[in-house]
Amino acid sequence: MSWLDTLTEDTARAVARRTARRGLLGSLGALLLGAAGLPLLPVARGASPKPAGAGAADKTQDETQCEYWRHCAIDGYLCGCCGGSASACPPGTEQSAVTWVGTCHNPADGLDYVISYNDCCGKGTCGRCLCNRNERDTPIYIPFESNDYDWCSGSSKANIPYHCSTARIVAPAK
Amino acid sequence: MTALALAAFAAAAATPLPPDPQGQVATLPAPASPHWVWVNDFVFPHMTDGQAILVDGDSGRFLGVLYTGFGFSRENLSHDGRLIFSPETYFSRGTRGTRTDVVSLYDSVHLSAVGEIGIPPKRSANMPMMGDSELTDDGRFLLIYNFTPAQSVTVVDTASRSFASEIETPGCALEYPTGPRSFFSICSDGALLDVHLDDTGHAATRTRSVRVFDVPRDPATEKGVRRGSTWYFVSFGGTMYPVEITPKGLMPGKPWSLVSAAERAQKWRPGGLQQLAVHAGLNRLYSIMHQGGPETHKDPGKEVWVYDLATHRRIERITLAHPAASIQVSHDAQPLLFSAFIESSTLDVYDARSGRHLRSVENVGTTPTIMVTP
Repeated sequence: MSWLDTLTEDTARAVARRTARRGLLGSLGALLLGAAGLPLLPVARGASPKPAGAGAADKTQDETQCEYWRHCAIDGYLCGCCGGSASACPPGTEQSAVTWVGTCHNPADGLDYVISYNDCCGKGTCGRCLCNRNERDTPIYIPFESNDYDWCSGSSKANIPYHCSTARIVAPAK
Repeated sequence: MTALALAAFAAAAATPLPPDPQGQVATLPAPASPHWVWVNDFVFPHMTDGQAILVDGDSGRFLGVLYTGFGFSRENLSHDGRLIFSPETYFSRGTRGTRTDVVSLYDSVHLSAVGEIGIPPKRSANMPMMGDSELTDDGRFLLIYNFTPAQSVTVVDTASRSFASEIETPGCALEYPTGPRSFFSICSDGALLDVHLDDTGHAATRTRSVRVFDVPRDPATEKGVRRGSTWYFVSFGGTMYPVEITPKGLMPGKPWSLVSAAERAQKWRPGGLQQLAVHAGLNRLYSIMHQGGPETHKDPGKEVWVYDLATHRRIERITLAHPAASIQVSHDAQPLLFSAFIESSTLDVYDARSGRHLRSVENVGTTPTIMVTP
């Protein structure tokens, strides 16, 4: 089962060690107020179906994979599997205004990036490519560092259901 | 005689079965068996379809189900056993439209809706936690966690069946009852917000404690369990942080560890979604354990370790039939231990004293989250 994927775990932790999301959060706190977690299954790592013809492609560069580099702290259904992409919501949904952020390392260019995990809202749950990675995740009494909230229900676009989660690049991490 | 003739003879001699009356509907006995368990399910692939499923742990029988709307967390059982309170969210067009939040009231015998209480449409949609909704110790007020992302607690008066108040809890989450008119919330800096209510359900006092949890070093999970005047919160790394309810207020107790130095070196740690359970009569604490590194605090485990709360010594290691992220115990003198896993629909039942696996119940929900026992 996916939660036995220790390779993914170890890789993800290595990324977490190389980054410093807490410090970043401090400086970006005002901008990212509302930094959101996502609904969650706690242990669904690497559960994504393989895209057609992917073969042995690098999963860290495939936005339909849990191992995709931007997904280092995501928790939810991947919008790249739901008609959207890592940065765009699927047709007919709305992107939540608030979100929570992570700092993820892109092995392709060797840089760290601030990633904003905006939820896409307004339709029933997508239900495809569930992914949960918990680097630096905190309990929900620290909301902006926890991936256990549904931010569709918590933003100005509140009151609309959760569909899937994006992983937008905000900026390179300094 | 031929076989056909024999069958015809037998049919002629037999008394036919009586016709079944039309319109029969099963009811549940009252009071509830202590060996029943409510398995809550937020049905993650279809979040508008939340369910609370009632199973008899003795027989493994599926007794009935409540349908509980979008982003469901848990139900709360009235202290007299007659009603089930369920904080729920609905949309006027199924998955869209105007949002309505209510506390639905269900009759415990018929599992039918018998009323509802309108509440502000602010109920937090988060990974289900027991602290999402709790009754005060006397059962009078129902407390519901709100997150918009402003944090507050909705107070519902179950006696008058009406919304009583909304208490702001800035920077603090969930509710942990501490008495007939009091609860606390956990704040992001590791302090506790100690809230006392008046008899109308409004906040009389709100006091912030000293920091109880070392959030930066080893945060305590929000998945606390209570025995009497003590709440138990375990950290990601396995350190138990008791919180004592005293006449002078909330006081941190002396921390203790679920794991020895050797076990820590072997990466044993607690994990899961509802990872702790307590049996008050036996004075035992149950914890799901697994071997893993940092950031595996939500992982399931294949063992439950059992501790004597008087001595803090481990008295049992239970090997589970299936990995579990959630456990609960019944409250009676011959307690059952229930275990479930959000990625499975199998409910396992054990003898909570011996750890013996009694039975597995299949097809219990879609993504079972947290369990409640009467």
